[in-house]
Amino acid sequence: MNETDLKSLEKEITDSVQRCWKCRMCAAMCPTYEGWLTQSTAGRLMAINLYIKHGLGSLEDLSDILYSCTTCRRCQERCKALSTDCMPADTILKARQYLVKLSEAKEEGKHE
Amino acid sequence: MSNPAKKIIPAGHIYMKENVLSKSNLTGISESKALWAKDLGLAQKAEYMFFAGCGYQQMKYVEGMMGALKSAGKWGMSIGKVAGISKVFGKVGIDLTSITARITASKEDPYTPVLVSSVNVLRKLGLDVGYMHEEEPCCGSPMHYAGFESDYADHAKKNCEIFKSYGVRKIIGLVPGCTSALKNAYPQYVSGFDIEVHHILEIIAKSLKEKTIKLKAKKRVKVVYHDPCQLSRYLQLIDEPRQIIKSIEGVELIEPDPEQRGKWSTCCGGGGLEATHPELSERIGTKRARELVSTGASLVLSNCPACDLQLAKMIKRLDSNVSVMDLIRFLDEALN
Repeated sequence: MNETDLKSLEKEITDSVQRCWKCRMCAAMCPTYEGWLTQSTAGRLMAINLYIKHGLGSLEDLSDILYSCTTCRRCQERCKALSTDCMPADTILKARQYLVKLSEAKEEGKHE
Repeated sequence: MSNPAKKIIPAGHIYMKENVLSKSNLTGISESKALWAKDLGLAQKAEYMFFAGCGYQQMKYVEGMMGALKSAGKWGMSIGKVAGISKVFGKVGIDLTSITARITASKEDPYTPVLVSSVNVLRKLGLDVGYMHEEEPCCGSPMHYAGFESDYADHAKKNCEIFKSYGVRKIIGLVPGCTSALKNAYPQYVSGFDIEVHHILEIIAKSLKEKTIKLKAKKRVKVVYHDPCQLSRYLQLIDEPRQIIKSIEGVELIEPDPEQRGKWSTCCGGGGLEATHPELSERIGTKRARELVSTGASLVLSNCPACDLQLAKMIKRLDSNVSVMDLIRFLDEALN
């Protein structure tokens, strides 16, 4: 996977998070939310944003946070009803693509 | 050992991707997928092509596969390298496909009858569909949800070629996930994708409106409808299933709380989550099962293999005598 692909994906993800109002209504909608913000839409967006922008957090934690989403899109309906265009569920899928591309790039790099 | 940070994708997802790419089905089982259709005499070419999807065709194996992943312990639940998870399992002496087959062998299969029912219902409504039998590909949507975007795009293009070689113009999908992949995702990945895709409930609701057909349930029953995420939020099919249920005589439709139905329906936690976070999936499933059982209905209707499986399992665990049935099967019985 080449560098520009990763960069453009990074930009797409952080741009979407930028459009988030931080109202946290998505967390209330999220079926996996049990009290920890990282187990909800809002937390997932926060985690991937902090990782991309500031390198915070480990990839394993990020993987656990992102892959615990059920992709049910309940958050996205709520988000759209509030007329924001953050598209949280689509952004989480993009973040998963980002993780896959990142790990593919790392595995390729190891063989060289 | 290699840097642990390099292993970041859940093994379950990688395993499913490998199965889709190598066997063009979800579970990696080589058994014929078209066994259910052998007595139905479905043509391979027709105006409407029926897309059965892995869900119902392989649901009995999916249950086995989840069991296999769980029984593989830390290997099944761990995170793996994107390239070659089967090899890793092989190295520690785990053959997931054979475990899947073994766990499945003892179980009866309530899911393939749904496929037969859908063909029956369509025929009773005067629509004869075609079916691609063994050549039907897997839509590949699990790869999409796991983030394997380039594999998914390639797979979609390959499938499109297969559809073209069969001269497919219109598809009737059954599994919500497959249908939404074919309808919403394929046009984004395949340029010039011009196949019309409908979900079976759309077709049924439309022809029930046009024709005067009497539908009668075997006995009076209170039902509650569980909206699968992929139907209500990905395909926006919320009124159609309710119309269908209301048109059946002797059936009383009870609705859950407005915040738990239709566009806002709560997720059952089934499907892919079970392969990566089984405990979380159970907790979500129990919550949803409680919501549905508390409505006082004696039958839960749904129309998604993952939801059917998850809800049946979770409601059973609540010690409730509420049963779960696929809407299509229920409709087939009412159409006599």
